[in-house]
Amino acid sequence: MTSEMKRTFSAYLLLSGLLITCVPAQADSRIKGTGGVSSVSGAGGGGLIPWATLTSLATDKERGFTGFATHTDVDDFTLDVLGGAVNFNDRLELSYARQTFTIKANDAEIAQDKYGLKVRVAGDLLYGKVPQVAIGIEQSRLRDPATAKAVGARDDDGTDFYVSAARAWIDGPFNRTSMLNVNLRYSKANQYGLLGYGGDDQDSRLQIEVAAAMFLTRSIAFGAEYRQKPDNLSALQEDKATDVFVAWFPNKHVSITGAYVRLGEIAGARPQNGFYLSVQGAF
Amino acid sequence: MFNATFFCKSLPALAAALLISACSGMQNQENLYSALGAEAGLEKIADNFILEIANDDRVIEYFEDTNVERFRQFFIEHMCNLADGPCEYTGDTLVDTHVGMNITVADFNAIVEDLMAAMNKADIAIGTQNRLLARMAELREQIIRM
Repeated sequence: MTSEMKRTFSAYLLLSGLLITCVPAQADSRIKGTGGVSSVSGAGGGGLIPWATLTSLATDKERGFTGFATHTDVDDFTLDVLGGAVNFNDRLELSYARQTFTIKANDAEIAQDKYGLKVRVAGDLLYGKVPQVAIGIEQSRLRDPATAKAVGARDDDGTDFYVSAARAWIDGPFNRTSMLNVNLRYSKANQYGLLGYGGDDQDSRLQIEVAAAMFLTRSIAFGAEYRQKPDNLSALQEDKATDVFVAWFPNKHVSITGAYVRLGEIAGARPQNGFYLSVQGAF
Repeated sequence: MFNATFFCKSLPALAAALLISACSGMQNQENLYSALGAEAGLEKIADNFILEIANDDRVIEYFEDTNVERFRQFFIEHMCNLADGPCEYTGDTLVDTHVGMNITVADFNAIVEDLMAAMNKADIAIGTQNRLLARMAELREQIIRM
Protein backbone atom coordinates (compact mmCIF):
# COMPACT_ATOMS: atom_id res chain seq x y z
CA MET A 1 0.00 0.00 0.00
CA THR A 2 1.16 3.53 -0.62
CA SER A 3 1.40 5.79 2.41
CA GLU A 4 -1.70 7.66 1.23
CA MET A 5 -3.63 4.41 0.98
CA LYS A 6 -2.40 3.40 4.42
CA ARG A 7 -3.58 6.68 5.91
CA THR A 8 -6.99 6.33 4.23
CA PHE A 9 -7.23 2.73 5.38
CA SER A 10 -6.38 3.62 8.98
CA ALA A 11 -8.79 6.56 9.01
CA TYR A 12 -11.47 4.29 7.62
CA LEU A 13 -10.92 1.61 10.24
CA LEU A 14 -10.99 4.25 12.98
CA LEU A 15 -14.22 5.69 11.59
CA SER A 16 -15.75 2.22 11.36
CA GLY A 17 -14.70 1.57 14.95
CA LEU A 18 -16.30 4.81 16.14
CA LEU A 19 -19.49 4.11 14.24
CA ILE A 20 -19.68 0.58 15.62
CA THR A 21 -19.32 1.97 19.14
CA CYS A 22 -21.55 5.01 18.83
CA VAL A 23 -24.40 4.16 16.47
CA PRO A 24 -27.30 2.42 18.22
CA ALA A 25 -28.15 -0.91 16.69
CA GLN A 26 -31.18 -0.37 14.46
CA ALA A 27 -31.01 -2.07 11.13
CA ASP A 28 -29.77 -5.48 12.08
CA SER A 29 -32.89 -7.62 12.14
CA ARG A 30 -31.80 -10.30 9.71
CA ILE A 31 -29.96 -13.39 10.92
CA LYS A 32 -26.21 -12.83 11.33
CA GLY A 33 -24.23 -13.58 8.18
CA THR A 34 -27.17 -13.34 5.76
CA GLY A 35 -25.97 -9.92 4.60
CA GLY A 36 -22.80 -11.46 3.25
CA VAL A 37 -19.77 -9.21 2.93
CA SER A 38 -18.72 -6.46 0.50
CA SER A 39 -17.58 -7.34 -3.01
CA VAL A 40 -14.78 -5.48 -4.84
CA SER A 41 -17.44 -3.45 -6.69
CA GLY A 42 -18.94 -2.28 -3.39
CA ALA A 43 -22.15 -4.28 -3.87
CA GLY A 44 -23.17 -6.70 -1.16
CA GLY A 45 -22.03 -10.20 -1.93
CA GLY A 46 -18.99 -12.28 -1.70
CA GLY A 47 -15.59 -10.90 -2.59
CA LEU A 48 -15.07 -11.21 -6.35
CA ILE A 49 -18.76 -11.10 -7.27
CA PRO A 50 -21.97 -9.52 -5.98
CA TRP A 51 -24.66 -11.81 -4.61
CA ALA A 52 -28.45 -11.55 -4.68
CA THR A 53 -28.36 -10.68 -0.98
CA LEU A 54 -28.59 -6.98 -0.14
CA THR A 55 -25.93 -5.43 2.06
CA SER A 56 -26.30 -5.13 5.87
CA LEU A 57 -28.92 -6.91 7.96
CA ALA A 58 -31.78 -4.48 7.24
CA THR A 59 -35.26 -5.98 6.85
CA ASP A 60 -38.29 -4.64 4.96
CA LYS A 61 -38.84 -1.81 7.46
CA GLU A 62 -35.21 -0.79 7.98
CA ARG A 63 -32.28 0.95 6.33
CA GLY A 64 -28.81 -0.49 6.64
CA PHE A 65 -25.36 0.79 5.80
CA THR A 66 -22.05 -0.95 5.27
CA GLY A 67 -18.54 0.43 4.84
CA PHE A 68 -15.56 -1.68 3.91
CA ALA A 69 -11.88 -1.78 3.07
CA THR A 70 -10.27 -4.56 1.02
CA HIS A 71 -6.65 -5.22 0.24
CA THR A 72 -5.61 -7.82 -2.35
CA ASP A 73 -2.01 -8.75 -2.94
CA VAL A 74 -1.11 -11.03 -5.87
CA ASP A 75 2.25 -11.76 -7.48
CA ASP A 76 2.74 -8.58 -9.50
CA PHE A 77 -0.11 -6.31 -8.42
CA THR A 78 -2.13 -5.04 -5.49
CA LEU A 79 -5.74 -3.89 -5.45
CA ASP A 80 -7.10 -1.67 -2.70
CA VAL A 81 -10.81 -0.99 -2.48
CA LEU A 82 -12.67 1.40 -0.19
CA GLY A 83 -16.40 1.73 -0.39
CA GLY A 84 -19.83 1.55 1.11
CA ALA A 85 -23.41 0.64 0.40
CA VAL A 86 -26.89 1.49 1.63
CA ASN A 87 -29.79 -0.91 1.82
CA PHE A 88 -33.30 0.56 1.70
CA ASN A 89 -35.92 -1.80 3.13
CA ASP A 90 -34.04 -4.88 1.93
CA ARG A 91 -35.34 -3.93 -1.52
CA LEU A 92 -32.89 -1.46 -3.03
CA GLU A 93 -29.12 -1.27 -2.60
CA LEU A 94 -26.89 1.61 -3.69
CA SER A 95 -23.15 1.12 -3.58
CA TYR A 96 -19.90 2.88 -4.29
CA ALA A 97 -16.32 1.68 -4.43
CA ARG A 98 -13.01 3.29 -5.25
CA GLN A 99 -10.56 0.76 -6.60
CA THR A 100 -6.84 1.47 -6.72
CA PHE A 101 -4.77 -1.01 -8.67
CA THR A 102 -1.00 -0.83 -8.26
CA ILE A 103 1.65 -2.37 -10.49
CA LYS A 104 4.37 -3.45 -8.07
CA ALA A 105 7.21 -3.19 -10.63
CA ASN A 106 6.92 0.58 -11.07
CA ASP A 107 4.38 1.65 -8.43
CA ALA A 108 2.07 2.89 -11.21
CA GLU A 109 -1.55 3.21 -10.13
CA ILE A 110 -4.85 2.85 -11.94
CA ALA A 111 -7.88 4.11 -10.03
CA GLN A 112 -11.50 3.44 -10.87
CA ASP A 113 -14.88 4.48 -9.44
CA LYS A 114 -17.73 1.99 -9.33
CA TYR A 115 -21.36 2.89 -8.67
CA GLY A 116 -23.88 0.12 -8.17
CA LEU A 117 -27.62 -0.32 -7.92
CA LYS A 118 -29.25 -3.60 -7.02
CA VAL A 119 -32.94 -4.41 -6.62
CA ARG A 120 -34.36 -7.50 -4.99
CA VAL A 121 -37.14 -8.59 -7.33
CA ALA A 122 -38.32 -11.88 -5.86
CA GLY A 123 -37.97 -14.49 -3.18
CA ASP A 124 -35.99 -14.79 0.00
CA LEU A 125 -32.56 -16.22 0.72
CA LEU A 126 -33.76 -18.44 3.57
CA TYR A 127 -37.53 -18.84 3.39
CA GLY A 128 -40.23 -19.90 0.98
CA LYS A 129 -40.06 -21.73 -2.32
CA VAL A 130 -38.47 -19.02 -4.47
CA PRO A 131 -34.75 -18.19 -4.28
CA GLN A 132 -33.81 -14.57 -3.69
CA VAL A 133 -33.49 -12.95 -7.11
CA ALA A 134 -31.95 -9.54 -7.69
CA ILE A 135 -31.05 -7.47 -10.73
CA GLY A 136 -28.17 -5.04 -10.68
CA ILE A 137 -26.26 -2.41 -12.58
CA GLU A 138 -22.62 -1.47 -12.07
CA GLN A 139 -21.40 1.75 -13.66
CA SER A 140 -17.64 2.18 -13.75
CA ARG A 141 -15.33 4.99 -14.78
CA LEU A 142 -11.54 4.95 -14.90
CA ARG A 143 -9.76 7.86 -13.25
CA ASP A 144 -6.56 6.86 -15.01
CA PRO A 145 -7.51 5.77 -18.55
CA ALA A 146 -4.04 5.89 -20.15
CA THR A 147 -3.20 2.21 -19.61
CA ALA A 148 -6.61 1.11 -20.91
CA LYS A 149 -6.09 3.12 -24.12
CA ALA A 150 -2.55 1.78 -24.48
CA VAL A 151 -3.66 -1.86 -24.39
CA GLY A 152 -6.40 -1.26 -26.96
CA ALA A 153 -9.57 -0.88 -24.87
CA ARG A 154 -12.44 0.90 -26.62
CA ASP A 155 -13.74 2.89 -23.66
CA ASP A 156 -12.66 4.14 -20.26
CA ASP A 157 -16.12 3.68 -18.79
CA GLY A 158 -18.70 0.95 -18.97
CA THR A 159 -21.90 -0.46 -17.55
CA ASP A 160 -22.44 -4.01 -16.38
CA PHE A 161 -25.87 -5.56 -15.91
CA TYR A 162 -26.47 -8.71 -13.90
CA VAL A 163 -29.20 -10.94 -12.63
CA SER A 164 -28.43 -12.87 -9.48
CA ALA A 165 -30.15 -15.73 -7.67
CA ALA A 166 -29.24 -17.01 -4.22
CA ARG A 167 -30.62 -19.77 -2.05
CA ALA A 168 -29.59 -20.88 1.41
CA TRP A 169 -30.50 -24.23 2.94
CA ILE A 170 -30.77 -23.95 6.72
CA ASP A 171 -30.19 -27.69 7.07
CA GLY A 172 -27.72 -28.10 4.20
CA PRO A 173 -24.94 -30.66 3.62
CA PHE A 174 -23.56 -32.04 6.90
CA ASN A 175 -26.47 -30.25 8.62
CA ARG A 176 -24.70 -26.95 8.02
CA THR A 177 -26.46 -23.86 6.65
CA SER A 178 -25.23 -23.53 3.07
CA MET A 179 -25.74 -21.14 0.19
CA LEU A 180 -25.46 -21.16 -3.56
CA ASN A 181 -25.44 -17.98 -5.66
CA VAL A 182 -25.42 -17.78 -9.45
CA ASN A 183 -25.09 -14.58 -11.48
CA LEU A 184 -25.48 -13.96 -15.17
CA ARG A 185 -23.59 -10.80 -16.11
CA TYR A 186 -23.51 -8.67 -19.25
CA SER A 187 -20.15 -6.92 -19.38
CA LYS A 188 -17.47 -5.66 -21.72
CA ALA A 189 -15.04 -4.96 -18.87
CA ASN A 190 -11.36 -5.84 -19.19
CA GLN A 191 -10.05 -6.92 -15.78
CA TYR A 192 -13.06 -5.47 -13.90
CA GLY A 193 -12.70 -2.33 -16.03
CA LEU A 194 -9.21 -1.53 -14.73
CA LEU A 195 -8.01 -2.06 -18.31
CA GLY A 196 -11.05 -0.31 -19.80
CA TYR A 197 -14.06 -1.65 -21.65
CA GLY A 198 -14.31 -3.51 -24.95
CA GLY A 199 -11.52 -4.20 -27.38
CA ASP A 200 -10.39 -5.32 -30.81
CA ASP A 201 -11.22 -8.98 -30.09
CA GLN A 202 -14.64 -8.67 -28.49
CA ASP A 203 -15.50 -11.84 -26.55
CA SER A 204 -18.95 -12.99 -25.42
CA ARG A 205 -20.58 -10.25 -23.35
CA LEU A 206 -22.36 -12.73 -21.11
CA GLN A 207 -20.56 -14.25 -18.19
CA ILE A 208 -21.46 -16.70 -15.45
CA GLU A 209 -20.47 -16.17 -11.85
CA VAL A 210 -20.96 -18.70 -9.07
CA ALA A 211 -20.45 -18.71 -5.32
CA ALA A 212 -21.03 -21.40 -2.72
CA ALA A 213 -20.70 -20.96 1.03
CA MET A 214 -21.24 -22.97 4.18
CA PHE A 215 -21.58 -21.84 7.80
CA LEU A 216 -19.43 -24.09 10.00
CA THR A 217 -20.75 -22.25 13.05
CA ARG A 218 -23.09 -19.23 13.36
CA SER A 219 -20.02 -17.00 13.06
CA ILE A 220 -17.69 -18.69 10.58
CA ALA A 221 -18.44 -19.34 6.93
CA PHE A 222 -16.20 -20.66 4.22
CA GLY A 223 -16.70 -21.07 0.52
CA ALA A 224 -15.53 -20.49 -3.00
CA GLU A 225 -16.30 -18.19 -5.91
CA TYR A 226 -15.87 -18.37 -9.66
CA ARG A 227 -16.03 -15.40 -12.00
CA GLN A 228 -15.92 -15.82 -15.75
CA LYS A 229 -14.38 -12.81 -17.48
CA PRO A 230 -14.46 -11.73 -21.12
CA ASP A 231 -11.21 -11.73 -23.12
CA ASN A 232 -11.63 -8.68 -25.37
CA LEU A 233 -8.05 -7.60 -26.08
CA SER A 234 -6.02 -9.41 -28.72
CA ALA A 235 -2.77 -8.24 -27.15
CA LEU A 236 -3.52 -9.63 -23.69
CA GLN A 237 -4.94 -12.84 -22.31
CA GLU A 238 -7.71 -12.60 -19.69
CA ASP A 239 -8.77 -15.60 -17.60
CA LYS A 240 -11.41 -16.55 -15.10
CA ALA A 241 -10.98 -15.51 -11.46
CA THR A 242 -11.58 -17.81 -8.51
CA ASP A 243 -11.22 -17.66 -4.76
CA VAL A 244 -11.63 -19.74 -1.64
CA PHE A 245 -12.58 -17.73 1.42
CA VAL A 246 -13.23 -17.79 5.15
CA ALA A 247 -15.44 -15.10 6.67
CA TRP A 248 -15.74 -14.40 10.37
CA PHE A 249 -18.76 -12.60 11.80
CA PRO A 250 -17.84 -11.93 15.46
CA ASN A 251 -21.11 -9.99 15.81
CA LYS A 252 -23.78 -8.41 13.60
CA HIS A 253 -21.72 -5.31 12.89
CA VAL A 254 -18.31 -6.57 11.85
CA SER A 255 -17.02 -9.11 9.38
CA ILE A 256 -13.49 -10.05 8.44
CA THR A 257 -12.90 -12.05 5.28
CA GLY A 258 -9.69 -13.69 4.17
CA ALA A 259 -9.31 -15.40 0.81
CA TYR A 260 -6.84 -17.04 -1.48
CA VAL A 261 -7.44 -15.68 -4.99
CA ARG A 262 -6.38 -16.94 -8.38
CA LEU A 263 -6.93 -14.15 -10.90
CA GLY A 264 -5.26 -15.64 -13.98
CA GLU A 265 -3.11 -13.61 -16.35
CA ILE A 266 -3.31 -9.85 -15.91
CA ALA A 267 -1.84 -7.40 -18.43
CA GLY A 268 0.56 -9.94 -19.87
CA ALA A 269 1.95 -10.98 -16.48
CA ARG A 270 1.98 -14.65 -15.42
CA PRO A 271 -1.12 -16.09 -13.66
CA GLN A 272 -1.66 -14.00 -10.55
CA ASN A 273 -2.27 -15.72 -7.23
CA GLY A 274 -2.36 -14.22 -3.78
CA PHE A 275 -4.30 -13.13 -0.74
CA TYR A 276 -7.33 -11.00 -0.09
CA LEU A 277 -8.33 -9.40 3.20
CA SER A 278 -11.52 -7.43 3.72
CA VAL A 279 -13.04 -5.73 6.74
CA GLN A 280 -16.65 -4.61 6.80
CA GLY A 281 -18.67 -2.61 9.29
CA ALA A 282 -22.48 -2.84 9.13
CA PHE A 283 -25.00 -0.57 10.82
CA MET B 1 -23.63 -13.90 -27.78
CA PHE B 2 -24.53 -17.44 -26.80
CA ASN B 3 -22.00 -19.97 -28.00
CA ALA B 4 -20.58 -23.33 -27.02
CA THR B 5 -17.80 -21.77 -24.96
CA PHE B 6 -20.37 -19.89 -22.89
CA PHE B 7 -22.19 -23.10 -22.06
CA CYS B 8 -18.99 -24.97 -21.32
CA LYS B 9 -17.90 -22.18 -19.02
CA SER B 10 -21.26 -22.45 -17.25
CA LEU B 11 -20.24 -25.89 -16.02
CA PRO B 12 -18.98 -24.64 -12.62
CA ALA B 13 -22.54 -23.47 -11.80
CA LEU B 14 -23.92 -26.86 -12.70
CA ALA B 15 -21.14 -28.64 -10.82
CA ALA B 16 -21.75 -26.56 -7.68
CA ALA B 17 -25.50 -27.26 -7.84
CA LEU B 18 -24.91 -30.99 -8.28
CA LEU B 19 -22.37 -31.05 -5.46
CA ILE B 20 -24.76 -29.35 -3.04
CA SER B 21 -27.61 -31.70 -3.91
CA ALA B 22 -25.30 -34.70 -3.63
CA CYS B 23 -23.95 -33.49 -0.30
CA SER B 24 -27.48 -32.94 0.96
CA GLY B 25 -27.57 -36.71 1.36
CA MET B 26 -24.72 -36.48 3.85
CA GLN B 27 -26.91 -35.56 6.76
CA ASN B 28 -27.51 -36.99 10.14
CA GLN B 29 -30.69 -39.08 9.93
CA GLU B 30 -30.94 -39.87 13.65
CA ASN B 31 -34.43 -39.28 15.02
CA LEU B 32 -34.48 -35.53 15.67
CA TYR B 33 -36.47 -35.83 18.90
CA SER B 34 -33.75 -38.08 20.34
CA ALA B 35 -31.01 -35.77 19.04
CA LEU B 36 -32.68 -32.88 20.88
CA GLY B 37 -32.50 -34.88 24.12
CA ALA B 38 -36.10 -36.15 24.10
CA GLU B 39 -38.51 -34.80 26.73
CA ALA B 40 -35.82 -33.52 29.09
CA GLY B 41 -33.99 -31.79 26.24
CA LEU B 42 -37.12 -30.06 24.97
CA GLU B 43 -38.04 -28.92 28.49
CA LYS B 44 -34.60 -27.39 28.89
CA ILE B 45 -34.88 -25.64 25.49
CA ALA B 46 -38.37 -24.37 26.37
CA ASP B 47 -37.23 -22.96 29.74
CA ASN B 48 -34.21 -21.26 28.14
CA PHE B 49 -36.40 -19.95 25.31
CA ILE B 50 -38.88 -18.39 27.77
CA LEU B 51 -36.00 -16.67 29.59
CA GLU B 52 -34.52 -15.39 26.31
CA ILE B 53 -37.88 -13.94 25.27
CA ALA B 54 -38.43 -12.40 28.70
CA ASN B 55 -35.13 -10.54 28.31
CA ASP B 56 -35.69 -9.51 24.70
CA ASP B 57 -37.07 -5.97 24.40
CA ARG B 58 -37.68 -6.49 20.69
CA VAL B 59 -40.45 -9.03 21.19
CA ILE B 60 -41.50 -9.10 24.85
CA GLU B 61 -44.58 -6.96 24.15
CA TYR B 62 -46.13 -9.78 22.12
CA PHE B 63 -46.03 -12.02 25.18
CA GLU B 64 -47.50 -9.60 27.72
CA ASP B 65 -50.80 -11.49 27.92
CA THR B 66 -49.26 -14.91 27.45
CA ASN B 67 -49.94 -17.67 29.96
CA VAL B 68 -46.35 -18.88 30.35
CA GLU B 69 -47.26 -22.37 31.58
CA ARG B 70 -49.61 -22.90 28.62
CA PHE B 71 -47.05 -21.48 26.18
CA ARG B 72 -44.39 -23.83 27.58
CA GLN B 73 -46.62 -26.89 27.27
CA PHE B 74 -47.72 -26.17 23.69
CA PHE B 75 -44.21 -25.18 22.61
CA ILE B 76 -42.82 -28.50 23.88
CA GLU B 77 -45.67 -30.45 22.24
CA HIS B 78 -45.17 -28.63 18.97
CA MET B 79 -41.39 -29.10 18.88
CA CYS B 80 -41.78 -32.74 19.87
CA ASN B 81 -44.27 -33.27 17.06
CA LEU B 82 -42.10 -31.42 14.52
CA ALA B 83 -39.09 -33.49 15.59
CA ASP B 84 -40.88 -36.82 14.99
CA GLY B 85 -41.32 -37.37 18.72
CA PRO B 86 -44.22 -39.26 20.36
CA CYS B 87 -46.47 -36.23 20.87
CA GLU B 88 -49.69 -34.74 19.58
CA TYR B 89 -49.86 -30.96 19.30
CA THR B 90 -53.08 -29.99 21.10
CA GLY B 91 -52.78 -26.20 20.84
CA ASP B 92 -54.47 -23.79 18.44
CA THR B 93 -53.24 -23.54 14.85
CA LEU B 94 -50.28 -21.21 14.30
CA VAL B 95 -52.49 -18.98 12.17
CA ASP B 96 -55.08 -18.65 14.98
CA THR B 97 -52.33 -18.00 17.52
CA HIS B 98 -50.62 -15.24 15.56
CA VAL B 99 -53.49 -13.58 13.69
CA GLY B 100 -53.80 -9.87 14.35
CA MET B 101 -50.36 -9.64 15.96
CA ASN B 102 -48.81 -8.09 12.82
CA ILE B 103 -45.58 -9.95 13.34
CA THR B 104 -42.85 -8.48 11.15
CA VAL B 105 -39.90 -10.10 9.45
CA ALA B 106 -37.71 -8.48 12.13
CA ASP B 107 -39.86 -9.89 14.98
CA PHE B 108 -39.75 -13.36 13.46
CA ASN B 109 -35.96 -13.23 13.14
CA ALA B 110 -35.64 -12.00 16.74
CA ILE B 111 -37.55 -15.08 17.93
CA VAL B 112 -35.34 -17.32 15.78
CA GLU B 113 -32.29 -15.77 17.44
CA ASP B 114 -33.83 -16.32 20.89
CA LEU B 115 -34.47 -19.96 20.02
CA MET B 116 -30.90 -20.39 18.75
CA ALA B 117 -29.59 -18.91 22.01
CA ALA B 118 -31.90 -21.21 23.99
CA MET B 119 -30.60 -24.26 22.10
CA ASN B 120 -26.97 -23.13 22.53
CA LYS B 121 -27.52 -22.87 26.28
CA ALA B 122 -29.04 -26.36 26.25
CA ASP B 123 -25.87 -27.62 24.51
CA ILE B 124 -27.73 -28.69 21.36
CA ALA B 125 -25.24 -29.32 18.53
CA ILE B 126 -25.45 -26.81 15.68
CA GLY B 127 -26.34 -29.52 13.14
CA THR B 128 -29.26 -30.63 15.31
CA GLN B 129 -30.33 -27.00 15.73
CA ASN B 130 -30.34 -26.59 11.96
CA ARG B 131 -32.49 -29.69 11.49
CA LEU B 132 -35.14 -28.24 13.81
CA LEU B 133 -34.86 -24.69 12.44
CA ALA B 134 -35.32 -25.94 8.87
CA ARG B 135 -38.58 -27.65 9.85
CA MET B 136 -39.75 -24.54 11.69
CA ALA B 137 -38.87 -22.33 8.71
CA GLU B 138 -41.61 -24.10 6.74
CA LEU B 139 -44.13 -22.62 9.19
CA ARG B 140 -43.02 -19.02 8.72
CA GLU B 141 -45.82 -18.06 6.34
CA GLN B 142 -48.37 -19.08 9.00
CA ILE B 143 -46.82 -16.68 11.49
CA ILE B 144 -45.72 -13.39 9.95
CA ARG B 145 -47.93 -10.64 8.54
CA MET B 146 -51.15 -12.42 9.56
